[in-house]
Formats: sequence, structure tokens, C-alpha cells
Amino acid sequence: MSITIKLFAALREALGESELQLDLAEIASDASPADVAAVKAVLANRGTDWREALHQPNLVHALNHRVVFTDAVVSEGDELAFFPPMTGG
Amino acid sequence: MAAEYAKLIGDQPGAAVATFTGYVRGHAEGAAVTALELEHYPEMAQKVLMTLGETAAERFKLTRWRIVHRHGSLAVLDSIVWVGAVAEHRGEAIAACEFMMDTLKTDAPFWKREEGVAGDKWVAQRDTDTRRRERWQ
Repeated sequence: MSITIKLFAALREALGESELQLDLAEIASDASPADVAAVKAVLANRGTDWREALHQPNLVHALNHRVVFTDAVVSEGDELAFFPPMTGG
Repeated sequence: MAAEYAKLIGDQPGAAVATFTGYVRGHAEGAAVTALELEHYPEMAQKVLMTLGETAAERFKLTRWRIVHRHGSLAVLDSIVWVGAVAEHRGEAIAACEFMMDTLKTDAPFWKREEGVAGDKWVAQRDTDTRRRERWQ
């Protein structure tokens, strides 16, 4: 049971990865829900560069292509993307 | 641009047609820009822009609309984005273009990387873009 994590732009560059799979079992427990905050906590354990990158104040989270906040719950097969504020147009 | 305009108006042009085009600037904050790289999140960009057009159509009573956003490597003076709206009256057509541009600047998943003489850097979102977006809430 896993979710797909995608990284874009400066975040992708800083962490050297654009896509990875995360096992839901790593994120959820009986005590806490598998939400975006929990995903960030698990990824932050990978190292200081991950911790710093994911705790930027303006970081945007998109769950299945829609912007969400850290309380959004993730489920098997979901796609969760992290990226800096958008600069299109 | 002519091809996009033709697709926008189709066989029967409405009474009022407005468009906006954004081009790659040759300079940013005093430094010369030589090229622009536009990264994007394809599946989300498609959804966001489609929803944006539909929202604009409903809010401004458009009969037709079109949004084109390029990605990848662009040169200075290349076009980046083009929006078009057809309505019965000029107020709605023009406002719809402004709304679509103000919204996609902050909501569409594209990221600009400027390549210049002094090096490469990611463009940062501007406060003015956030404020312009908020005007439409």
C-alpha cells in the first residue's frame, strides 16, 4: 500500500529527486492519521536537507492535483506533490 | 497567435472578443535574461487551466474561451501564455482575461527558471501577483 510523492522546481533540485513511492505503513499508526503532516514528518527523517526543504513557510502541497493543507488525509494510490509557490503566466 | 485567435472565435465571432499575451522578458531586476526554462506539473496544470476557463465562462458569461500555456525551453521574446474570451459585452470579455491571467499566475503549476549572464535562478512569486489574485475572491 503506497502513495506517490512528486517534487518540483527548486524543491526537486535541492533534494535531487523528482518522484518516489512511500509505504502507507510508514506513515500511519493506530494513534495518528495518515495525513500530509505525517508524510512530511516521515520524509523529514531522511535528513536535514529534507527537513529544511519541507518546512519552508510557503511550501505548497497538492493531493491528487488539488492544493490542500497539512490536515488532508492520504490514501493508497494517492499522489502527493510538494513544490514552491507557482510562477507561471 | 493568429491561429489561437481563429480557434477562439470559431465560425461565429461573438460581439466582444478580448485576448492577452505574455512574452519572455529580456531582463529581470536589472540583469539580462538569455533564456527561460518553464517546469510544469502536467496533469495538475491541465486540470487547473480547464477549471479556470470553465469558472471564467460561468462568472463572466463567456460564450467561448481559450487558454494556452507553453512549457520547456523558451527564448527571450517568445510567447509564454495566451488567454482569450468571447462575450456579449466588452466589460465581460476584458474582465475575464484579467481574471484568467491573475488566477493562473498563482494557481497554475508552472515554475520559471531564468538563465542569465550572472547565472540561473528560480523566479519567486511576487506580492503583487498574490494581491491581484485576491482581488477576485
